[in-house]
Amino acid sequence: MKKLLSLIALVLALTLCFGGCAGTTEESSSTPEAETSGTENADVVTINILSSDDFAGFRTSVIPEFEATHPGIKINFQSVGYDALHQKEVTALAAGTDTYDVVDVDCIWTPEYVTNGYIECVDDRITDEMKTGILDVCMDILRYDDKMYGLPMFNDLFFMYYNKEILENAGITELPETWEEYDQVCQQLQTSGACEYGSAYGWAQAEGLICYYMDYVCAFGGSLQDADMNPTINTPENVAALQFMVDSLYTTKTTDPASITSDDRNAIELFSQGRLPFCINWSFAWGQFNDPTQSQVVDKVGVMLIPGHGDIRSAACAGSMGLAIASTSQHKDEAWEFISFLASKEIQKRQAIEGGSLPIWADLYQDEELLAQHPAAAEMVEQSTMAYNRPSFVYYNEFSTVLQVEIQNALTQAKTPEQALADAQTQVEQIAATY
Amino acid sequence: MPRQSLLHAGRRDGRRPYFYLAPAFLLLAAVILIPLLYALYLSFFKTQGVNREFVGLANYIDILKQSYFWASTGRTLYFTIVSVAAEFVIGLGVALLLSQNFKLRGFLRVMLILPWALPTVVNGVLWSWIFNTSYGSLNGLLLEAGVIDNYVSWLGKPFLAMNCVIFADVWKNYAMIALILMAGLQTISPTYYESAMIDGANVFQRFRYITLPILRPSILVCLITRTMEAFKVFDIVYTMTKGGPANGTQVISYYTYQATFGSSKFGYGAALSYLISFVILLMALAYIRVLRGKEE
Repeated sequence: MKKLLSLIALVLALTLCFGGCAGTTEESSSTPEAETSGTENADVVTINILSSDDFAGFRTSVIPEFEATHPGIKINFQSVGYDALHQKEVTALAAGTDTYDVVDVDCIWTPEYVTNGYIECVDDRITDEMKTGILDVCMDILRYDDKMYGLPMFNDLFFMYYNKEILENAGITELPETWEEYDQVCQQLQTSGACEYGSAYGWAQAEGLICYYMDYVCAFGGSLQDADMNPTINTPENVAALQFMVDSLYTTKTTDPASITSDDRNAIELFSQGRLPFCINWSFAWGQFNDPTQSQVVDKVGVMLIPGHGDIRSAACAGSMGLAIASTSQHKDEAWEFISFLASKEIQKRQAIEGGSLPIWADLYQDEELLAQHPAAAEMVEQSTMAYNRPSFVYYNEFSTVLQVEIQNALTQAKTPEQALADAQTQVEQIAATY
Repeated sequence: MPRQSLLHAGRRDGRRPYFYLAPAFLLLAAVILIPLLYALYLSFFKTQGVNREFVGLANYIDILKQSYFWASTGRTLYFTIVSVAAEFVIGLGVALLLSQNFKLRGFLRVMLILPWALPTVVNGVLWSWIFNTSYGSLNGLLLEAGVIDNYVSWLGKPFLAMNCVIFADVWKNYAMIALILMAGLQTISPTYYESAMIDGANVFQRFRYITLPILRPSILVCLITRTMEAFKVFDIVYTMTKGGPANGTQVISYYTYQATFGSSKFGYGAALSYLISFVILLMALAYIRVLRGKEE
């Protein structure tokens, strides 16, 4: 019995030890300044920021500059993975406490956050320079009922990255322009042994799946909402788009079957290891592909237009995010200082050069220095003219949950694409009726 | 007996016990009782962000009408029954084995507990890598051994994914059952077995008429705690499959999480939590009845 007791003690000690490790790796970084904020003098205001981990590295790197020029403000910066962000924000915001002064808002959450009163209208803070200088397509992500609720932080959309070395070695000189051509190129690469699969996507049951589906939907001429903001899921175009995805798994076999359980980060890893010829991903992937510490494909990456279908040359899902002031914040002015600092032209330009994002300011797209230092800028700008937003329903999250499951029903061949989308339409109409 | 002496102490010393108990009670009230009551209150409201509207029992009625609710309840029952049964059978076997006297026993006992010492989140990440289609070690092993010709997408098919999650859960949790049963086995005096052997009882008879009856309380403790934990399963699903593919692993707790935080329906989520708690309470009562019944 004594032995057993000591065993149990050992186990408990181990559990605590592992638990501690998990805690520190799971949660994310905060600046070292954060810990000391409690002991600062009363004049210093601490701004708590919850951010997605996209571009978190860049944001953290410019905080010292901001604090140097704004001696009265300390920044406590926290970042979490995208899939945990909404949950963490909504919990804090709905509780009505001032845990966060600044929150990171994905374009699809704006209607929900505004109608629930989570974020602050910033119409009286936005300058004329911002109004005229920032791209409309960027401002739109935080606009609701003609009012602004924050500032966009980048102009993000899906890009098609390709591995120049793999394509050159296989003798492929012409980049595919339609999805059909793309599949042929993938098959050619696979049979020559250049890669195991031509594509890997983040088709797991999560928001990313809807973004990938949007690429096909818009290329096939479909849409998920009509002009009156009603859901239009079950249309021939949308069915054809889904059918193409299913075929790429089971007929042409150009898509890695692991895509069904992967998120977009898994695809970045495969591509970084030089195991994938193509990769559709967000703009932050560019920075990772060209970071020698995490990638073996540095300087071998090109950007091409995402394939189209028929008359449509290309279609990319847009997915910008922006920072907003929480309604519960006690330090709204200071929070705005930081948001407008990150959105400023100078910081936006550096974020583009260092992190690979597209800037929100229209005139930066003609900036010689930026274009010279960002080798893929021209292709990315071209793709940004062929970008499509996901529907902006107030019930977007419920819509998305239903659609994710039904798309997966088709991808796992539990249902035909027609059946899956018909079922999704019925369910979404029921949800819409409750709002 | 203990109950009586406490009662007497209370009579003699007036309010003193309450004074000693107050800190613990206040702490429990702050972290358990108040949230619990607040969730009950919230479950009667339809919430929309910070706004809420009293709807009475509408949330509960709504839940019972949802096909998603019943589907995820079915999956939860499958998860609970299969995982607890497997954990019990393996745990009992391992406990009997490790109660034998042999050389490496101490070492093996430590090894046994290692998986259980892992936080569930770590266990989930671990197994999702092992099951990974393209570079998981399971596919590599099976392909090398010639068992499969092509990589299998373990977490890519709804029913298969559910069973893989169960496998990962069993791998971690059978150890706890083995541990409790091992403790129970140590309370059995060897003299029982000796006299049974003199009477000519074979190994099965000794197990059936000595081990099992004496072990019964330990077995019930294991089953109660594991069943309730399995019914509430969330973290391993969250880390391995996020309820996918095609909702194949969407158990009731994950459904609650999604409804609450994904769709911001806090009232609906609170009502769901109360329904789950109610089911678990029923389970606990049923178990206690069984436990008491056998003792009498």
